[in-house]
Amino acid sequence: MGLNYYQIKKNILRARKLVIKSTNIAGSGHPGGSFSMAEILGCLFYKYLKYDPKNPTWEDRDRLVLSKGHAAPGLFSNMSVAGYFPETELETLRKFGSKLQGHPDLKCPGVEFCGGSLGTGLSYSIGIALAAKIDNKDHHVYTIIGDGESDEGQVWEAAMTAAKYKLDNLTAFLDRNFIQQDSYTEKVMPLDEELTGNNISEMWKDASRWKTGDKWRSFGWNVIEIDGHRVEQINAAIAKALATKGVPTMIISRTIKGKSVEHMEDNPQWHGKAPDSDVVPLIYDELDSQFMIAPSIIAGDMTNLENEVKRCVNGRADYIHLDVMDGQFVPAKTFDHNKIKELRPLTVIPFDSHLMIAEPVKHVRDYVEAGSDIITVHTEVCDESSFGEIHDLLKQNQVGVGLAINPDTDLPEWSYKFLPSLDQLIVMSVVPGKSGQKYIPETHEKMKKLNSILNAHKFTGYIEADGGVNLENIGSCFEDGARAFVGGSAIIGQTDVRETIREFRNQVLKARRKKLIEKAHQLGGADLANKWIGLHVVGEKQDQIIKIAKEENLL
Amino acid sequence: MNPPQMSDMRTEYSKSLIEVGKENPNVVVLGADTTDSLKTSAFGKEFPNRFFNVGIAEANLVSVSAGLAASGKVSFASTYAIFLPGRAVDQIRNGIAYPSPPGKKGLNVKLVVSHGGLSVGPDGGSHQQIEDIAIMRAIPNFRVFIPADTFAVSGLVRLMANEYGPFYMRMARSKTPIVHSDSQEFHTGKGITLRDGSDCTIAACGITVRMALEAAEVLQQEGISCRVLDMFSIKPIDGDILEKAARETGCIVTSEEHNIFGGMGSAVAESVSERYPVPITRIGAQDMFGESARDNEVPLLLEKHGITSFNMVKQVKEIRSKKL
Repeated sequence: MGLNYYQIKKNILRARKLVIKSTNIAGSGHPGGSFSMAEILGCLFYKYLKYDPKNPTWEDRDRLVLSKGHAAPGLFSNMSVAGYFPETELETLRKFGSKLQGHPDLKCPGVEFCGGSLGTGLSYSIGIALAAKIDNKDHHVYTIIGDGESDEGQVWEAAMTAAKYKLDNLTAFLDRNFIQQDSYTEKVMPLDEELTGNNISEMWKDASRWKTGDKWRSFGWNVIEIDGHRVEQINAAIAKALATKGVPTMIISRTIKGKSVEHMEDNPQWHGKAPDSDVVPLIYDELDSQFMIAPSIIAGDMTNLENEVKRCVNGRADYIHLDVMDGQFVPAKTFDHNKIKELRPLTVIPFDSHLMIAEPVKHVRDYVEAGSDIITVHTEVCDESSFGEIHDLLKQNQVGVGLAINPDTDLPEWSYKFLPSLDQLIVMSVVPGKSGQKYIPETHEKMKKLNSILNAHKFTGYIEADGGVNLENIGSCFEDGARAFVGGSAIIGQTDVRETIREFRNQVLKARRKKLIEKAHQLGGADLANKWIGLHVVGEKQDQIIKIAKEENLL
Repeated sequence: MNPPQMSDMRTEYSKSLIEVGKENPNVVVLGADTTDSLKTSAFGKEFPNRFFNVGIAEANLVSVSAGLAASGKVSFASTYAIFLPGRAVDQIRNGIAYPSPPGKKGLNVKLVVSHGGLSVGPDGGSHQQIEDIAIMRAIPNFRVFIPADTFAVSGLVRLMANEYGPFYMRMARSKTPIVHSDSQEFHTGKGITLRDGSDCTIAACGITVRMALEAAEVLQQEGISCRVLDMFSIKPIDGDILEKAARETGCIVTSEEHNIFGGMGSAVAESVSERYPVPITRIGAQDMFGESARDNEVPLLLEKHGITSFNMVKQVKEIRSKKL
């Protein structure tokens, strides 16, 4: 399909909601494993996979084999977002007479493999890949296997076979979510190393304990290890896999079971259970409240931006915000597309290029070619026609489309028609031009007005708060509706970028939890609020949420 | 009867595969480290890019075959009987039989095994598959054959190559006596009347067909007219030919080198009891395992389980007295 980063994320969100909806209606199903592979499926369905929903048996289509078949709701939801069948059909999941069976089935056109019996999908994919080789076809086979499933000996039979036949037309993902039906994988049957306590996050954090990659490497596979929830890492891994000849590729994707819904995350109970109806609206809200932290590197050492990028990478930033200033639109001058091009090879983290330049329509192509993932231009220097041109160019090149407004600017009416397809709106909360200014408090009021316009015009992108955002005000920015946060001196100016970003996230998380407790109260009073809080059984989440609820007098 | 002409099923299988492989470029052959024994390696020499040896990994063998079939190939996957239904039934059931593309039943995979039954001989009870027919018969969408001789092997390989869907065919390890002629046709679900008779019927399959013919010859000398059926198609079973035999001869003895539970004898009994019940006696392994027997001792092993023409004669005589 070839969508940009934002569109992929948007579709992933849509698919996650459909998983919740369909398993809730069905009364059973596997949301946990559907969510751990959500980003993997998103990158496949909306960027790499070649298919035609109107012609599911198209001979040259790529094949997607979901070996961990219990995650069928995830597959079906994406298939409906991709256009194979209407979303309403998901309401028939697991129902008598439905083509949407409890596990993926050829009854549903577009499904390539009858899953359910674990450990067999990789062998089946080998058969498909061998057939493609015989027929000199260049379609690709993508297979998703689970880590629990890797207990099956047949997985390793298949591992040897794919290497023997040099199946470079086969790329497998290991959805490494560390949880299987009984418990944590490292307790049931360790793939990496036996886990003695109950803290699975310790496995996540300690790369020296990961042995799974070694296993696959020793079986003769090209192994790529990634964070399986980072769209940019998945995309880069697939691109690498496609460019690798003579061996099959295994992309070991470290993931979180139930990812994006706090009470489901890392919780073995959500392997195969459907959410209750009263909790569903809260889950939708939580899914809508995903957020991103974008450090702005101009707040650092302008003579060594390479190092600032590296600090962002080490800090696990979601984006890297690049403030391009030309000395005309704003008095200051920073860097141009040439610098971005130089920085690009340093990381796959999305480059969020914020063009504070005059006549952006003349230059935007340079920024596309430099490797930006999203390009934001200012309304003050665009009109309907020039922005239309920019919009189309960016979409064609799979680059996110952003618009920015200065503190004293309202969203111009000509921009309304672009709102449904706009990926990002930057609301400046300082006058652009230099780093280190204070957040303008009137922005909160402005956001209220803006939100009603955005809702009315079906804006579904991210609002990015940019200017003076810090630990004190980030929560209120979230309440205003911002879902991406640019941090200048408040992040890059700090010694420990990683710790600062973590603190930023915690502040937003706190605001989000507060919002969700309020919502629970509003929908179902104290009963629902208590029920929702009670669902958070893993780690210290419950205590933290109770603390917030007490502080806000919500209990 | 004249001493039979003996012929090797695996050699015939190999030859037939190459023939169908020449006619149909979509035919692929897979093995699991028994490709010299099954003689499928000859196909690999002829068509190196359509032949895959996955090693001693039968589960993988089955699933890879299914993937090839899902991409339009006609997969023939072969090893010893004991290692396919006996070992990889989940992959067979969920990987071949169950997945049904729109308008079709199952995937286009042919599981062809050698070393079926007790006549495997020296390798012993661990290798003597006497449950495969019961297993395969219970799986929807599968058709199940046991050829009696090499004419049946070549006819059935051709049939399976041309007919869509999952098949299981079980061959014997040792050379088997010729009972058919090269003009014999084979059709799914159609038994073959090899000898007509009016007093009793012996329904046989595989190596027991020749025994049945010998028994009928002996019975003839004693004035008993015995019909002999080759029930090579165990699923679907030929209900018509059985009903006719029941009506016209009034009793049936079945014979197979398989456990009497769930095998060809069971299939015959199920059909006859529903359509025209008559007394039936099942010859076969009496719910016990086999054991080692050197090649020249295989008749002794079979005799221990009652799988002999002598026992057929005896059973025919006994069952005639029970006729309704």
